[in-house]
Amino acid sequence: MNPSNELSQPLSPAQTSLGLGVWKRFRKHPGAIFGLIVLTLLLALVVFAPLTAYDPEVSDISARNKPPSIQHLMGTDALGRDLFTRILYGGRISLTVGIMVVVIGLVIGVPVGALAGYYGGWLDALLMRITDTFLSLPAFLVLILLSAILREVELPLFERNSVLTIALVIGLLSWMTFARLIRAAFLTLRELDFIAATRALGGSDFRIIVKHILPNAIGPIIVEATLELGSAIIEESGLSFLGFGIQPPTPSWGNLLSNAQTHFTTQPWLAIFPGLMIFLAIISVNYIGDGLRDAFDPYKVLDQIGE
Amino acid sequence: MLETKRTLIFLLLAVTLSSSLLGCQPQSPANATAPAQTSVTIVIAEDPPSFNPVITDTGYDSLVMDLVMLGLTDIDENGNVFPELAAELPTLENGDVVQDETAGTMSVTWKMRKDAQWSDGTPVTAKDVIFTYNAILDPAKGSWIPGIDYIDSIAQVDNYTLTINYNAIFPGYLTQFGGEQVVVWPAHYCSAEQGFSAWDCAREPLSDGPYKLEEWVNGDHMTFVKNENYFDKGKPSIETIIVKIIPDAAVRKTMLLNGDADLDMWSSEQMIHDLEGAENVQVSNSPDNRWVMRIFFNLAAKGATDPVATPHPILSNVKVRQAIRMAIDVDTITKEFFYGLAKPNWTEFFRPPYVCDNVARTQFDLEGAKALLEEAGWVDQDGDGVRECHNCGTAADGYPMEMEFITYSEYGEPLELTQQFIAEQLGKIGIKLNLTVVEGSVLWATAADGGIEQNGNFDMDIWDEGYAGIDPTDYLWSYYSAEAAVPDNGYNYGRWENPEFDSLLDEAYTLDTQTRHDAFCKMATLLDEELPQALLFTAVNASVHSARLQGVKSSTNDIITWNAADWTLK
Amino acid sequence: MAAYILRRLLQTIALLFLLSVVLFALVNLAPGGPLAGQGQSRHVSAEKVELLKRQFGLDQPLPTQYIIWLAGNDWMKVDVDGDGIKESSGTRYGILRGDFGFSFRTRKPVLEEIGGRLPNTIYLMSITMLAAILLAIPIGIASALRQYSKFDIAVTTFSFAGQAIPEFWLGLILILVFYAWLKNPFTGQPLLPSGGITTLGLQGFNLGDRIEHLILPVLTGALGWVSWYSRFMRSSMLDVIHKDYLRTARAKGASNWVVLYKHGLRNALIPLVTLLALDLPYIFSGAIFVEYLFAWPGMGRLYYQAAEQRDYPVLMTILIIGAATIIFSNLLADILYAYLDPRVRYE
Repeated sequence: MNPSNELSQPLSPAQTSLGLGVWKRFRKHPGAIFGLIVLTLLLALVVFAPLTAYDPEVSDISARNKPPSIQHLMGTDALGRDLFTRILYGGRISLTVGIMVVVIGLVIGVPVGALAGYYGGWLDALLMRITDTFLSLPAFLVLILLSAILREVELPLFERNSVLTIALVIGLLSWMTFARLIRAAFLTLRELDFIAATRALGGSDFRIIVKHILPNAIGPIIVEATLELGSAIIEESGLSFLGFGIQPPTPSWGNLLSNAQTHFTTQPWLAIFPGLMIFLAIISVNYIGDGLRDAFDPYKVLDQIGE
Repeated sequence: MLETKRTLIFLLLAVTLSSSLLGCQPQSPANATAPAQTSVTIVIAEDPPSFNPVITDTGYDSLVMDLVMLGLTDIDENGNVFPELAAELPTLENGDVVQDETAGTMSVTWKMRKDAQWSDGTPVTAKDVIFTYNAILDPAKGSWIPGIDYIDSIAQVDNYTLTINYNAIFPGYLTQFGGEQVVVWPAHYCSAEQGFSAWDCAREPLSDGPYKLEEWVNGDHMTFVKNENYFDKGKPSIETIIVKIIPDAAVRKTMLLNGDADLDMWSSEQMIHDLEGAENVQVSNSPDNRWVMRIFFNLAAKGATDPVATPHPILSNVKVRQAIRMAIDVDTITKEFFYGLAKPNWTEFFRPPYVCDNVARTQFDLEGAKALLEEAGWVDQDGDGVRECHNCGTAADGYPMEMEFITYSEYGEPLELTQQFIAEQLGKIGIKLNLTVVEGSVLWATAADGGIEQNGNFDMDIWDEGYAGIDPTDYLWSYYSAEAAVPDNGYNYGRWENPEFDSLLDEAYTLDTQTRHDAFCKMATLLDEELPQALLFTAVNASVHSARLQGVKSSTNDIITWNAADWTLK
Repeated sequence: MAAYILRRLLQTIALLFLLSVVLFALVNLAPGGPLAGQGQSRHVSAEKVELLKRQFGLDQPLPTQYIIWLAGNDWMKVDVDGDGIKESSGTRYGILRGDFGFSFRTRKPVLEEIGGRLPNTIYLMSITMLAAILLAIPIGIASALRQYSKFDIAVTTFSFAGQAIPEFWLGLILILVFYAWLKNPFTGQPLLPSGGITTLGLQGFNLGDRIEHLILPVLTGALGWVSWYSRFMRSSMLDVIHKDYLRTARAKGASNWVVLYKHGLRNALIPLVTLLALDLPYIFSGAIFVEYLFAWPGMGRLYYQAAEQRDYPVLMTILIIGAATIIFSNLLADILYAYLDPRVRYE
């Protein structure tokens, strides 16, 4: 057995705080529990979407623009497609975009932050300047520009307005907070005794980063990830409203809502239900994020964000 | 310390406040119009980029241009050409058009009216026409208008007379310096130095039309007031026209309902449908329609522009194109998505004076379409719902029948629903279509700008097109001739090349209407058999206006403001 | 302090440089490159495009192009006629000297286009932000003082809701309610105008009319900010409340309000002030959805229109202005922070 492992066990606060303690504190947060229940419900609905009686992309000309009824819980759209079904499938797309954005953000942000925080020096300076550069871009404006450019060029993987393209574009502009949080955590943690001890015992840098420091930085990362998930969904809907979002007939909550805009007075259900879904999803991830923040450590997280 | 901090915060607020006061500068000049005058408000989605539609071509530019500037002629809603700056129309009969049959050339003498003036009092003369022609011709700063290559020279006869010498027979001569896009520009005011494509007078125009531009607050509104120097002294009867920029369609609709707007340009089918029966609005429909919704088939492989060296693996077989047309349920589309406002149409020649009824309509027939595909060698053997090539002759065996199907976003919901509906129907007969919606600016950009169509980066597109005015020859040349199949030369995006069509087109370059009519009807048959484009239906061409505004006439030949001088208020 | 500011200034210049490279790369990533749209008139000849390329220096290698973009080419000889001899001076001045080129759409200088829009955006956005701050500070403080009370829960819910409603959705609903449905009982006119800055044709400055036109756009735009700032104010107030010195002060018998005002509030405001400095750029770049729905002639709409029509010179200029204001507000925030909290500058 590696001696460094033995050493780290009792000293690392992550192991304890990640476990029961966090859950105990989280449980006491009524909003967070509400958020968790709603989000779980939404996820379940979305996962079991194929169980509905309708196909999201097959039209029924005889049933166009029908208000909600027993056959069509949320009514039908201009092509006679069941809105409930489309909302479930749209949820898959919207949540996929959200999750992909978080994954892309983590994939870029974590290594950047970890390298900068752990090694410091010129590498830190360089990586942080790059991070600052990205932070200096007016995000939503660049988002519009990139999606406008990407729909003009033909790229093998990134079809015009595909889920992957939209997620990549949003993700490319969402990794900076992750990098900063990770770096901040590393700056404080690397000086701690148990890390110094591990290093003295000959643990490799990679091992120290992955096994000892990262787990301790997980709190703020999870909080940020939940918030990022929510804002990605909102951003996709904004892009859809401007015509740069995900392409129909593939439904997303964003394009369902923005396409309903002109029918607000005549077919209000088309706008109300997708809007409600976005609303519920965002409000629940925000609550969960809030609960997690309190649970991990209300004051520490804040200090790091203010860094 | 607290004091300084408080000062700092205060300072911050003061900065924001003072900058807000900066924005409070009154937008309108002192001579803003008093509300007592008769005034009409037109709502449009965005600013016109200029008053010169030849350069910017957005429709918004034509809208404002028609308020302030005149051409030699214009066209009314029924397709009749009428003189504007011209005193009368030059024809063979009155001797102002002289043909040289043997040389195949002609010359046209224009006599201009003598009472037309620019708003600064300078008379409008033949000099202005020649100046306009030279400015367009300039190789570096000029542009292009239909038939300009046929002009050999222009000679000024006197102040109000000029003769245009053509090196060919150009049947469209009557509206060459008029119509929807071309006007006469003031020689004493516009700068030849800046050039036709960029001159300032296209943004601060001098008026010889019924109105003049008084104020243009970018992104907000434009104010036009009556031009006292307009030659038709009794007109216009409405003193002020305000063009307001309202980007959101739902807001425009609400403004019309509330009586805050009098006219919506290019009203969508949905707007017309939603406002039907509302007391204070009326719809002006044009007597015939111009825009034909159609599918462009790319006969060259996607990304290539040579249909012979690199034919399209699926669409180069005419049977496939016919099958696709057969599988589209046009009646349902026009009835459902276009609220019955669109009319099925299957030929280019459906507008007077050149109507050809020698082409029969293809009936919607899914089984027939399937049979055609089987015949062409496209069968679904692996049972995945998508046909693949089995001895189709245009692609390798096993090549799937899957294509990209593009449309443009500006048209709005009916077209997007149509696109989705067609894709679904073709899916039923084993053709898989992947849908894309892009802005028109991307779809139609030049090849150098990466334009999707000019570069052949598509399989099938659906959008609406049709010719302005009464002469289809140049339109036919630019969409169907072999010369126009060269990228950036014309708009033959599908690269359909047919010598028979090209020679028929040559025949149509004559002033003899009967010969033209015959040539057009032969083209109609050819286009129906060869099917470079599948024509589906004519889209609506209408404007919603307030009930108090009288005299609005939607026209397929020009933008809605073409007769603004005749509008009255009830 | 001076040394600190100098150091940050140098960093800022380095950052601006990096950013200019990124933005330059973006222009060149666009199909057609920086000349896209020049050939907008449909029958532009290949020779004309070549001529333009030489005039703009686009026949040069990328690093040279970057320098031309930054500093212009009027100081170097250019081969315009393509005969291999450099005969005439270039015509570009570069963005460093304020040459942002011409809008493809209108052929007007980009700066002129922007100049017409910027004051309107500053006007709308500064009032929006001000309204947001004035609402958010008391809300945030009150909910921090009563953490987990009913009020706090309501505020939290409200602020999450504020972030969960897309702006374009809220804006349209407000227009429908206050413009289409509700009428002024005295005049029968719509309760509030649907958009614009003032009523057209109004003589001079009319405060009431201005305010009427501001209500809906400010409401739509400010909701998100109120949620965000009140949330932030609440956290930073909580942070301060739990600090030892406040407990000490209270233990010493000072009254709650005095403690709160003298020690709590001012310390809790420090992070907010720096946050405000960080959000200053929004005052310049505007709000696309609000400007679109309420027909407000501002920067956001100009940007959107330019994106739709691929008007790259306008897009790039707005991006550059946006990025530069972000960088300078960062600098401002850091200096403010260092000024308010002296520990920082020695780190």
